[in-house]
Amino acid sequence: MKNPNVLVIGSGVAGMEASLILGEAGQKVYLIEKESLIGGQTIKFEEVYPNMECATCMVAPKQQEILQNENIELFLLSEVEQVKGSVGEFKVKIKKKARYVSLVNCIGCGACYEPCPVSLENEFEEGLSKKKAIAVACPGALPNVPAIDPENCLRLNGKKKECQACKEACMFDAINFSEKDEILDLEVGAILIATGFGLLDAKNLPQYGYRKAKNVYTAMEFERLYAANGPTEGKLVLRDGETPKSIAIIHCVGRSEQGYCSGVCCMYSTKFSHFLKHKIPEAKICEFHTDLCIPGKSHQKFYQKILNQGVDFIRFDDIKVEEKNGKMQVIYKNGNGEKDKFIADMIILSPAMIPGGDTESLAKTIGISLDKKGFFSTQSEKLSPVATAVDGIFVAGCAEGPKDIPGSIAQAEAAAGKILSILR
Amino acid sequence: MKQDFKPNIVGFLCNWCSYAGADLAGSSKLEIKPYLSVIRVMCSSRVNSNLVLNAFLWGADGVLIAGCHPGDCHYEKGNYYVRRRFALLKKILETLDLEPDRLQLSWISASEGKRYAEVVNKFAEDITRLGPSAFHTNPNI
Amino acid sequence: MNEKIGVYVCECGPNISERIDIDRVLEEISSAEGVKVAKKFGLLCSNDGKNYLADEIKKEELTHLVVAACSPREHEQTFMNVCLEAGLNPYLFQLVNIREQCAWMISDKEEATRMAIKYIYAGISRVTLHKPLLKKELDSIPDVLIIGGGISGIEAALCLAGKDRKVYLVEKTESLGGMVKKFFELLPYQGSNLAVIEEKIEQVQNNENVEILTSSEVEDVRGFLGNFEAVIKSKSNGSETKEIKIGAIIVATGFKLFDPKNIPQYGYGKIENVLDALEFEQMSASGKILLKNGNPPKSVALIHCVGRNEKGYCSKVCCLYSIKFARHLQDKLPGIDVSEFYSDLCLPDKADQDYFEEAKKKGIHFIRADNLELKEKDGKINVEYKVAGGKKDSIAVDMAILAPAMVPSEDTSKLAEILNLPLDETGFFKEVHEMLDPISTPIEGVYVSGCALGPKNIPESIIQSQAASGKILSSLIPGKKIEPEVKVSEIREEFCTGCQTCLSVCFYGAISFDEYKGISVVNEAICRGCGSCVGICPSGAIRSKHFTYPQLYLEVLQALR
Repeated sequence: MKNPNVLVIGSGVAGMEASLILGEAGQKVYLIEKESLIGGQTIKFEEVYPNMECATCMVAPKQQEILQNENIELFLLSEVEQVKGSVGEFKVKIKKKARYVSLVNCIGCGACYEPCPVSLENEFEEGLSKKKAIAVACPGALPNVPAIDPENCLRLNGKKKECQACKEACMFDAINFSEKDEILDLEVGAILIATGFGLLDAKNLPQYGYRKAKNVYTAMEFERLYAANGPTEGKLVLRDGETPKSIAIIHCVGRSEQGYCSGVCCMYSTKFSHFLKHKIPEAKICEFHTDLCIPGKSHQKFYQKILNQGVDFIRFDDIKVEEKNGKMQVIYKNGNGEKDKFIADMIILSPAMIPGGDTESLAKTIGISLDKKGFFSTQSEKLSPVATAVDGIFVAGCAEGPKDIPGSIAQAEAAAGKILSILR
Repeated sequence: MKQDFKPNIVGFLCNWCSYAGADLAGSSKLEIKPYLSVIRVMCSSRVNSNLVLNAFLWGADGVLIAGCHPGDCHYEKGNYYVRRRFALLKKILETLDLEPDRLQLSWISASEGKRYAEVVNKFAEDITRLGPSAFHTNPNI
Repeated sequence: MNEKIGVYVCECGPNISERIDIDRVLEEISSAEGVKVAKKFGLLCSNDGKNYLADEIKKEELTHLVVAACSPREHEQTFMNVCLEAGLNPYLFQLVNIREQCAWMISDKEEATRMAIKYIYAGISRVTLHKPLLKKELDSIPDVLIIGGGISGIEAALCLAGKDRKVYLVEKTESLGGMVKKFFELLPYQGSNLAVIEEKIEQVQNNENVEILTSSEVEDVRGFLGNFEAVIKSKSNGSETKEIKIGAIIVATGFKLFDPKNIPQYGYGKIENVLDALEFEQMSASGKILLKNGNPPKSVALIHCVGRNEKGYCSKVCCLYSIKFARHLQDKLPGIDVSEFYSDLCLPDKADQDYFEEAKKKGIHFIRADNLELKEKDGKINVEYKVAGGKKDSIAVDMAILAPAMVPSEDTSKLAEILNLPLDETGFFKEVHEMLDPISTPIEGVYVSGCALGPKNIPESIIQSQAASGKILSSLIPGKKIEPEVKVSEIREEFCTGCQTCLSVCFYGAISFDEYKGISVVNEAICRGCGSCVGICPSGAIRSKHFTYPQLYLEVLQALR
């Protein structure tokens, strides 16, 4: 193998795991991440099924290792622009956007947030809280260094060229408005795609009332509501601050439209009931599902436990959400074909996992194919489940299709294994 | 007298969850009562009876042990051992004429900065209410 | 006292300097015993700061270093590296957290200063008792033992074997291939036919770096990551045993099927033409799908979830292979009537639902049912069942195929004992962390992959084997030494009473009992330094390096100043 270096695209659990294994093996790893922080989606979860472990606690040591490992070079706010060459001699162009805050000088004290005059929706918090134009995504984000959003910063977008409120507040000379986007050239022997997933936009399915009825939440929004470091500091409250008394959780949102089951929603929806029972014991909770998909040796036991706590599980054939006189109701046809309704203060939707936003363009840039569902495809017919059709290019985690955390980690370790196996 | 009472509290925090939670409380600039001295250990299971009892005998007004939530232990099972030990220690405290409430075991995760501050402040309040421990004398060192 | 301790307080810009009276701190601690210098600096973690510290260590000939700054989670490693660079053992250093713990959480400057002084005193007291710990290096063997010659074991062998790494592939039966070889075909997205499997078997057989030991079993294993010894017994060679040395082990012993005889209402073993899934796979592989009377079946019922309730879990693959059976029956016996009786369809892979939809279009009946009972009636099998809402129904078929739960293979518990591995409540091997580390075990260097961990499909088994290989390829590099944890437990022989309490709490199996001396012994190559054994030792005989009793006691005493 001519070049033993590896490019890993995406720093979620899959990308981090693969990078750590490759780094430990002494391989030089270029880990590129389009966001300003590492950790992907997993760090948004307070607790994960079936053992209700704290995801932050699990992932933080890995994040620290990524930041400290000498063999791993991390490029944040970066995306792949071009890939040329073949296995053993890929030439890659990376576009690294300006952060405007020095990762070396900044110590993460947060003195710059307060003075910033701009207030924005925080995307990391699913828009449930505000952030400044200079901000970290959430408390505890790693690296603990903010980034300036150039589109909204008054100085950088030209609306108030003299503003330097953050720079004045910074005692460490960490802010540099003149930083420019960079194009970097890398040479690697192998590439791993670990760009994760997106969630189907529930707005596209109007029958669920998302963004129309007041208290319809997506699963990811609910995860952030429950998170101790989230917008409500873990309080499960409606938008008006009231505690919900009856909650409907609707599975399979977009399943028939997408044409596949996402494999994880039944379990995390059941986990939501667990959260709700824990924080609002008197709440009435109803899970609306189609086929329950709970494979895994400990999952059925978890479901059984929640069922025994008095959560209703109703199989539906047909379902819609309506709001009348400020009251939301779930109108459905159950498994026996009978029509019924459920009045809910809060409705949580479990939308299909879909390919991440930049999957198509990345596939084009790299020159590999997608399957008919839009995920990266592997040589599955050759029983080679992490290798793409192009030698030296691998895929792991939800970029390959919906899966749970251990599934993503195993696939990342597998990809690292295949890479080490071909690079020696 | 009770008005000026500033209790001395020793807090043993596990490195992986509770100490990280304390760090988050710090970086979130949450206010805590300045009575707790933190001692970092790798796992809450390292905190054995000698450490706790000696702390009391040397004049601690309260001892807090904080570890990962059950099931979250970085070393898989350590926090279960300390949970059992804790139950036993409570009984021993009674034989020393110390209020069992002077010893507390809490589970604090790395994302629970706010909980850390709440636990510490609540415990400081409780101990202040209990007043100085029977052994509350500054040891000569 | 010959200590020359240097204490450096980081201002952290305004973060510490504005909230703590650093000058008062310095004034107070500069007179503490052993302190040679006490100074402050703007930002110690900056390059200037690190150079300054390194210079100070050398210039002042410091024997110990205390830095009062931020959380050890942030910069302990940074300053340990500075020590290394300056020639001071990095364990003769203590980082005192006065930023998160004092400056940021105590708004009263007076109080924050008081607490900071306490913490720094604790650091100074403690550091004098620190021992210069040294990293150890151990030689390691890169070779690997794989137990189980099914698709998981084969895949791992292919991934690992190379010119500088030998693989021993131990298989209990006479041939490689395991369960998969008994199948008549695979799912379309797995390539349908078995050619890929045959190819992999051939590759592994032709690989000169793989030693295949069929008709063999593992009798005994000892050692730790990088240095295991295993005894393999061959059944064919007159019970000959062979000793091998390896650095890592992969357990890939697969699964077996739940015996449907345990649930009498399915009539398995009593009613003619009731088969289990594996029997149907083999019947299809033979090319002759026939009833006992020699005629082809005209109607078939496929019964899912056999034993699911009894075992308490869903085996994940049964829905898919039952659909595979149905489609195969339709292909081979046109006009056949096929009904699938299921509880919940489990189709979690991205390609599964399409496969199911196609089957539905081809006229296969899918009936959600429970309370199934199979009875013999007029030479046919009568399937009685309840549908949603409790309505009873029945259908008479020529043949019924049961899809039983996947359960741990025969020798799982025996192997668990030999390897000292835990099993979970379902009887499969237990992963060290179900979420984060799905193929590792508490014993470092021992991995489990495939269905030995629980039900899964072929691609997932292959992924896990490649994953285990990845872990081994990165931790056991030929010619490279391994560095075990430094802050481990040690047992002071003179105090150990031999009660063996510590053995029961060590999750990693790092402690063993020396029968001859009558004491416990810690294997430092395995210990991870949690201190559970220290906490539980009733005679105080165990010490955790860097977290010794005296070190912690001094911290406690300073806390109570």
